Amino acid sequence: MQTAAPTRAMKRRIRLNKLKTFFSKPQNLILLILGIVLTVTTVAPIIAIAKDTISIHPGTIDANITGKTEGYTFANYVDLFTSRTAKSNLWTPLLNTVLLSTISCVVSIIFGGVFAFLVTRTNLKFRKYLSSIFIFPYIMPQWTLAVVWKNLFYSNAVTHSADGLLASVFHITMPAWWCQGLFPSAMVLGLHYAPFAYILIGGIFRNMDANLEEAATILDTPRWKTMFRITLPMIKPAILSTVLLVFGSAMGSYPVPHYLNFQTLSTKYISLNSSRTGEASILAIIMMVFGVAILLANQLTLKSRKSYTTVTGKSGQISRFNLGKTGKYVIGAIFIVITFFTSIYPIISFAFETFLPNPGDYSFLYTGNVQNLTTKWWITAENVTENGMYGQQGMLYNKTIWHAYGGTLLVSVACALTAGTIGTLIGYAVSKNRRNKWANYVNNIAFLPYLMPSIAVGVAFFILFSNKYVNLFNTYWLLIIVGTVKYIPFASRASLNSMLQLSGEIEEAAIIQDIPWFKRMFRIIVPIQKSSIISGFMLPFMTCLRELSLFLLLCTQGYILSTTLDYFDEMGLYAFSSGINLILIVTILIFNTVVNKVTGASLDEGIGG
Amino acid sequence: MKKIIAMALALVMVLALVGCNGAAPAANNAQDSAVKQVIKEAQGMTLEELCKKAIEESNGATFYGVGNSSRGKSALPLFIEYLQTIDPNYTLNFEWQQPKNNKIFDQLTADSLKDKGTFAVTLIQDGNQIESKMVKTGILDTFIPLDWANANGVKADEYNGYLPLQTLNKVFEYNCTGSKTFTNCWDFVAEGEHGLFMDVDSEIVGKNFLYMLTQEKYAGYLKEAFDKLPADKQAYFKPVIESLEADAKDLGLGANGAYALAWIKLWVENYMAVEDDGPICNTLVSASATDQFGLLVYSKLRSVEESDTVSKNNIKVAAYQDGFEGIGGYGYCHYMFVPDNSPLPWTACAFIAFITCTVDGFSAWGKDMGGYSSNPTVAAGTEEKYGHSKGGMNEAGEVEFECKNDRGYDWWVNNGKLVIEDPAYCASVAFTVGSWIEMLTKYKPE
Repeated sequence: MQTAAPTRAMKRRIRLNKLKTFFSKPQNLILLILGIVLTVTTVAPIIAIAKDTISIHPGTIDANITGKTEGYTFANYVDLFTSRTAKSNLWTPLLNTVLLSTISCVVSIIFGGVFAFLVTRTNLKFRKYLSSIFIFPYIMPQWTLAVVWKNLFYSNAVTHSADGLLASVFHITMPAWWCQGLFPSAMVLGLHYAPFAYILIGGIFRNMDANLEEAATILDTPRWKTMFRITLPMIKPAILSTVLLVFGSAMGSYPVPHYLNFQTLSTKYISLNSSRTGEASILAIIMMVFGVAILLANQLTLKSRKSYTTVTGKSGQISRFNLGKTGKYVIGAIFIVITFFTSIYPIISFAFETFLPNPGDYSFLYTGNVQNLTTKWWITAENVTENGMYGQQGMLYNKTIWHAYGGTLLVSVACALTAGTIGTLIGYAVSKNRRNKWANYVNNIAFLPYLMPSIAVGVAFFILFSNKYVNLFNTYWLLIIVGTVKYIPFASRASLNSMLQLSGEIEEAAIIQDIPWFKRMFRIIVPIQKSSIISGFMLPFMTCLRELSLFLLLCTQGYILSTTLDYFDEMGLYAFSSGINLILIVTILIFNTVVNKVTGASLDEGIGG
Repeated sequence: MKKIIAMALALVMVLALVGCNGAAPAANNAQDSAVKQVIKEAQGMTLEELCKKAIEESNGATFYGVGNSSRGKSALPLFIEYLQTIDPNYTLNFEWQQPKNNKIFDQLTADSLKDKGTFAVTLIQDGNQIESKMVKTGILDTFIPLDWANANGVKADEYNGYLPLQTLNKVFEYNCTGSKTFTNCWDFVAEGEHGLFMDVDSEIVGKNFLYMLTQEKYAGYLKEAFDKLPADKQAYFKPVIESLEADAKDLGLGANGAYALAWIKLWVENYMAVEDDGPICNTLVSASATDQFGLLVYSKLRSVEESDTVSKNNIKVAAYQDGFEGIGGYGYCHYMFVPDNSPLPWTACAFIAFITCTVDGFSAWGKDMGGYSSNPTVAAGTEEKYGHSKGGMNEAGEVEFECKNDRGYDWWVNNGKLVIEDPAYCASVAFTVGSWIEMLTKYKPE
């Protein structure tokens, strides 16, 4: 007995000491707290939406089938999967969604990858300009390219609408498959996400030691073999990362397929929601399952992946392929033309649209008559007289637009700060405990919302926060919470990648000197990795500025610019939507430039030029 | 150990948070009866009396409204001005929300879970969903103003329907820069025709239009129009009608049900979906949209500005043309309701009375063509004030834009054979005719 008591006390003390030691490391505390918080913010919406799939909703199909107005039922599952409408409500949209996501990935990887190769590995001319301009489609709201596509290619003969620019000016009519459906949707999304591929693949190309390729050349290996056996395998991780990012994003895109008349799970969710609410929630769950599946597939690839080290201790060199004296100019010029249509033309088109007398009325182009231009969309200061503006004031005086602009800035700044901070902490903590399972779990649970389609995440949070106790619909709080959860991966990935590059010795030296954690972070770690960390703040900010799918169901128009823009676009008031687009683009460019000047960080940093 | 503790904590938090969702609206009984009692009392009051009650209740408060029409935002300042004529010191802050994508129903449902709601009043469309999701569930209450009841010759406490603020019409219009004409409503579903129309899944009132066609009265209109078609055109439609007779029987439709189903089938399988009526209007008034037609909100014509290639004279309203046979469009209502947990029920009732019983109150909607007050007195006053029947005439009294001479509600219902939405009927066929419609394959250009 005498020996047992001290042993128990000792054990308790040991446990206590272990606990003290455990929590004395800030990374452990961070992982524990954020692990719990992120589990709640990620899993609770999923449970809420899962519950919604079996709930009975008055006035919808489940109530009609069961004859009840409340309670639970599996009728939604049975009806969605087995009824006569299963093909139109589930299987066709599902197939379309998979096709759209896959082709978008292919387009973005080919376009972004080829461009990355040309910019980093060849003597292409105009690299600096092209590198900056290439990321514009990502800066712009994704459906603006869809609207530009419509304005360019629609025609009375094919789409039964007024003639677009190509038909009216050049009398060229494009076929239906070009104008609407899978092809234009995939092209628009592919172009929109090509900057992802460019940044990720370009990063590897830039750091890749050319010795391997040169060795192959010395061994007289054919060019194609070198490309497929050496170059492509080296960029495989970047391609996988692009697939990871683009597939989930394309799957959750609502506005692009909506504008280009293509039925996907996202558009079907919206159309089913009124009469088949529970079935719509099942569609959201299916989209989420895809997100989880992509994450798991990526994990498997990571496990089986061979070594793809691109940066070694040996001196490396980047050899540039010679495109030839003419080739470097010709290819550069081709890309200038392509990027003109993907990046510059939309901006010119938006600006021009704000001076047309009626939406889509290009009379000026046909006649040259300046009477067919107007400044009313900008300077009309009242909405009493009927000015052909559907009761709206001009943009300079339109309180709805400027209120929404303020709201967008508020949400974007708040999301960037919270997501950026949380993401940076996760990156830091995970890098410190990189072999720890809990750290891996936190890392994955933080990344999961990004892979879940935006519209599904929006739906889940709407359901979660529409109850008797917490009703956050149409509040900035809800947008900030959802935006933060969704954009943490931007920051966590940027932070983790940069923290992993950082040798532990640097911080250990400071620990030995008994320098507190805050000081170590702000005086050592953050300054060293400031570029990546700032990217982790900038990406959520820029993405949030023009996010629609995520916020579509969470607030009304007039709260933020993207929903206001979508409202005006749907109303056919293209002058307003184009004007808002310009405001957004200018805002993003200003912020990007300011951050670039102050910190030296930018989206395409280090790749081009 | 730490992982187990963390997981357990997380699970508890998750379940607690999700558990919040389970609360049913049943806890609102006390508040429900309070709002209903206010409504009962308010239905016997004049506008003046209601306004005094509103001033007592809401002076200095914030009034939240939610609606399918953005015009509530324009009407509220007029209402406040009116209250200030009674009490110059009266003030009221307000916020008007206009959710999209059918979210208004989710928003009102979520708000109904609270003891005291956020929204004082709502202006809402889609009789089908109102009936099944809002009224049967007790979320919204109908208030009938005394003056409105008197003007319509009904007794407020005996009136069974909802209170419509106005009826809006969507009418068939076609581009007339070519030679094509549309003289019968079956011409809109003839071979090779692809009318522009808001997708029925985007705007649910469009689906209600299709439901309403199956009601015997409107199916009868279609049969009459069919009988007046020339034989060659009848020959095209006849097999489709005959093939749907069994379906009409299965769906429990009346004698002319197959005509309705045939028209619906041909329409759904051929219309060209457009996001909104605005773009449809912009397309049709363009010179390049030769021979195109659409079914769109009539009032969109108000905002077309004349230019070298765009003109209101590039389109014609089908029903206005001599000899046109059959339905000329459809009408749906904007209804006014007081949420059962309205935080300001007296003010909501006064606001509803103001916009349904005075020309000034209705002016936010009445100033434009294509919206018809449900109050005959207000409708007459609005016509007198704004002269929509002569909206297309110039100052010399000559017709400048024929399509803008709005012939008014009575003409549209009696001569234009407008299909009017009936909420109860729509709700009753939503999952019979509705499911049948969902089986149809929508048009895609080839």
